Amino acid sequence: MQSDSKLNQVRSPGGAEAKSLPHLSIQGLGLQRNGRWLFRHLDWEVPRGSVVAVVGPSGVGKSSLLNCLAGLAAPTEGKLTFSCNAGCLHEAPDYQKRVGIIFQNLLLSPNSTVLRNVLCGRLGRYPWWQTLFHFPRAEKQAAALLLADLGLADHIHRRAADTSGGEQQRAAVARALFQEPELLLADEPVSNLDAYLCGRILGILRQEAHQNGRTVFCVLHDPALLERFADYALSLDPMNPEKWRIREIHAASGH
Amino acid sequence: MQPPVIEPAAQPRGRIDVPPVELKWHEHFGVLNISLLLFLVAVLCSAGVLRGSGRDLNYLANIRGFLANFFPPDFSVTGQTLLGLWETIQIAVMATAFAIVVSVPIAIAGAQTLSPRWLVFLSRLLMNGIRTIPSLIWALLAVAIVGPNPLAGVIGLTFYSVGYLGKFFSDAFESVDVEVARALRALGARTIQAFQYGLWPHAKPLVWSYSLWMLEYNIRAAAIVGIVGAGGVGLQLHSYQEYYQWDKFATVLLFMFLLVSALDLLGERVRKQIVRKAVATNPR
Repeated sequence: MQSDSKLNQVRSPGGAEAKSLPHLSIQGLGLQRNGRWLFRHLDWEVPRGSVVAVVGPSGVGKSSLLNCLAGLAAPTEGKLTFSCNAGCLHEAPDYQKRVGIIFQNLLLSPNSTVLRNVLCGRLGRYPWWQTLFHFPRAEKQAAALLLADLGLADHIHRRAADTSGGEQQRAAVARALFQEPELLLADEPVSNLDAYLCGRILGILRQEAHQNGRTVFCVLHDPALLERFADYALSLDPMNPEKWRIREIHAASGH
Repeated sequence: MQPPVIEPAAQPRGRIDVPPVELKWHEHFGVLNISLLLFLVAVLCSAGVLRGSGRDLNYLANIRGFLANFFPPDFSVTGQTLLGLWETIQIAVMATAFAIVVSVPIAIAGAQTLSPRWLVFLSRLLMNGIRTIPSLIWALLAVAIVGPNPLAGVIGLTFYSVGYLGKFFSDAFESVDVEVARALRALGARTIQAFQYGLWPHAKPLVWSYSLWMLEYNIRAAAIVGIVGAGGVGLQLHSYQEYYQWDKFATVLLFMFLLVSALDLLGERVRKQIVRKAVATNPR
């Protein structure tokens, strides 16, 4: 998808070998909200480069789990560890740079152009004085390429507020992808998109996971999409926080 | 043909609680009505000041006599007046520029969404304090410090403007959703970057619109601060008034009127254009 040389440096060895390495280690994770456990004793060695669909009814704590993984909410109990030289997940200093998030409400800057919004994905790579006036030209080129790939070539210089809901959603996806994170957390990334774009975006996420070793956590509602794109389905049970379930999915290859 | 009528399911009668239609007498007293009443009382209590000096003066003749001094305006001072106006504009521009630079950090400190409470309190206290002193008094203070020259006007108006711009900018920053900036922080951006890329693009139109308003205001105010010696066209006004040269005074007034009207027309249009887009996308 991208021809950027920088990308290749970040790339970990892809394929089955890398996939067997645990990437994210979740140990006894539990989160309480308003005195109620959303999930407890969650243990899982997440293989590198896998696509995990988080499923469950509304209010079960899917977004909270993602927030927990993102470091935006501290877990009530348990521990998260990155296996790749970062040590304990939340203690790693550059941890936020390694985690990309596609927010449910997108959180784009509405008065900035689509291109600028996408460039924001790489703010963490530069000290503040280098981004005070503009980004390096190469970064702009790479961002434009990514946006063109997502079908937003005509909109890169438009304000985010002047684009449609679906276009904004793709811009938010582009921002997260542009960050090239090791862990990508997507909270309903395709809720505003038609079937074609749904498949396109999820296909890209899957490709990123498998080829570049990015572990993707994705909140999905559509069971058909789940079967097509996910490697694992992590389902949370609203009645019993300890009864979470992880199911391996043997998706049809070819995406 | 009659459209099909969908009726609600029959409910047992007599169990519906109808709320009382009339409000109780004290329920009419919201803040609006109470303040309105208080204002009416204040009007009644203040009528005394309309009495005037109590002497038997012919008001109409006074006006006629005074205005007659203005005509015909003495246009021989046109060049001098234009120079004075130019200096007035320079004072206003410099004061506005300084005030913008000083106000932005104070405003960030004073925005409830961005700063801790104690800092917000201190910053607001400072801005309120500055605002309680009129621009003329600030100019008087500056004249006492740096002497009667345009610099005094710049200093005086800068202080006064900081009080207003700080408050306006604070409001502008508070009206912006901080969630975007928080999101950028979560993606690894530093605080300054999160502010610059997540918050500033949204606050910028408002900040700039307020700044233009302040410039307009300062041009008007700069014409007056000359009266206490702080440079600009006000100095001329003051001396013409001292020597009863009302025909020259009229010329200066005429040019000031032209300038301020032009500013009003232009400024409002430009500001509307700037803010229109900002408001269209503002979440609140």
